[in-house]
Amino acid sequence: MVQIVISSKAGEGPAEWLLVELQGEMVSRQNTGLAGNLMGDLHYTKEGVPVLVVGHHILYGKQVKLEKPFAVLMKHSGLPQDEEENMETNQENPTSYTVSALIKKKLIFKTRPKPIITNVPKKV
Amino acid sequence: MVHDLLESFIVMSVFFISLIIRGDKDEHAVLCNEDETYDLKIADTSNLLLFVPGCKTPDQLPDISASPQLVHAQIWGFSNCYWELRRQRPRLKKLKKLLMENPYDGPAVGMQEEAPGPKYTMDDLLERIQASREEIEAHLQNVHACEIDGFWRILDFDYEMKLLGHVTQLVDSESWSFSKVPLSVCLEELGSLEPKSMIEHCLNCYGRRYSNEDGQVIYALDEDKVCRATAQLLLQNAVKFNLSEFQEVWQQSVPEGMSARLDQLRGLALLDRSSKPETISLLRIEDLPEDTLERFNSLFSLREKWTQDDIEPYIQDLCGEKQTTGALLTKHARSSVQNGVKVYNSRRPIAT
Repeated sequence: MVQIVISSKAGEGPAEWLLVELQGEMVSRQNTGLAGNLMGDLHYTKEGVPVLVVGHHILYGKQVKLEKPFAVLMKHSGLPQDEEENMETNQENPTSYTVSALIKKKLIFKTRPKPIITNVPKKV
Repeated sequence: MVHDLLESFIVMSVFFISLIIRGDKDEHAVLCNEDETYDLKIADTSNLLLFVPGCKTPDQLPDISASPQLVHAQIWGFSNCYWELRRQRPRLKKLKKLLMENPYDGPAVGMQEEAPGPKYTMDDLLERIQASREEIEAHLQNVHACEIDGFWRILDFDYEMKLLGHVTQLVDSESWSFSKVPLSVCLEELGSLEPKSMIEHCLNCYGRRYSNEDGQVIYALDEDKVCRATAQLLLQNAVKFNLSEFQEVWQQSVPEGMSARLDQLRGLALLDRSSKPETISLLRIEDLPEDTLERFNSLFSLREKWTQDDIEPYIQDLCGEKQTTGALLTKHARSSVQNGVKVYNSRRPIAT
């Protein structure tokens, strides 16, 4: 049987992250992948309402405290980088997880994105 | 790069202190902390979940209405699925099964070494049982297992009864009260017959340990446990017994002064009040399947219709958190009224 240990990093308590939940899919404009690109701008109104601007869309959301908090885990597969080295040993290097962060609240955007029209033609 | 992140990071939905995931290749994985066991299930969402480290919410931002603030925040990763935890009863049936591979029936005779057989340490058990350490320790106590030379052993039942017999006979010959059995005298008088550690283990299983005013260790024997074990010894020798005959033999077999009562046998024996004469047979809950559906199928194939009172001891352990046996019956059985009494039968056809 396998036993996989999940532990928090020694010393400090885990950091707190924020979850942002969106309905639908996020794609990059030129299909170049999402990594390293700017997703959008997050604003908060005076009332504390989160507003997300992505491309030419605007989404309104709300802040929700999670009923069941999440933990983000990082997997340590225990396998050395060099594959050949692993073939020699009989002993399995155990997989383990550490906690990277805890998530206690989220910003959820459920409303339909509205297009931002910046150039409204004047009525003639 | 984003794909790498996805594979390495899994999001789970609960707080924890220190956790261990346990499971064999053919088992569903469970997650354990020191004293609880949870089922691990993957949950899917059609929504996109983005994790943003250090991103602040309005309540965390200083109230400076004067100048707008620009903060760069990086989305660290995203996911469409996460692991959900659901508290569940630990799977402990395997524990007894492992220990029964090699029950202990007393020290080796003469110069002989004990016959070889599989033996398990606590660490071995933690490797094989899908439960938390405390749940395993509690179950070891329930099955009267003891640690011998670092290995956890379950006693052969006849040997266990032999030890109990020595103790009750001594209580009788010394005319002690059942609630005032002194440990030191037991060890002195019985130490020549059986290992002292076994005598003490027997007292721990069948009595409550305490200290008297003089600081001596005393045991109060548990009448229900002693009578129940005696009943099992009698019942395991035949398929069925005539109930009234059994009750007579049973009362005669228990230590004089103890009362044998049928309510002591819940989860151990099943009465059949519909047969003439009324009968009783051995039916131990630990011999029944652990899975809820399989348990109900097994019970309904033994007997077509059950009253709530009869079936209750055999389904009590299946109840989830805050679930009643009534709720379980509503879910897994169909009820009807027979001779003015509410009975339950299977929802699906069962081969009897």
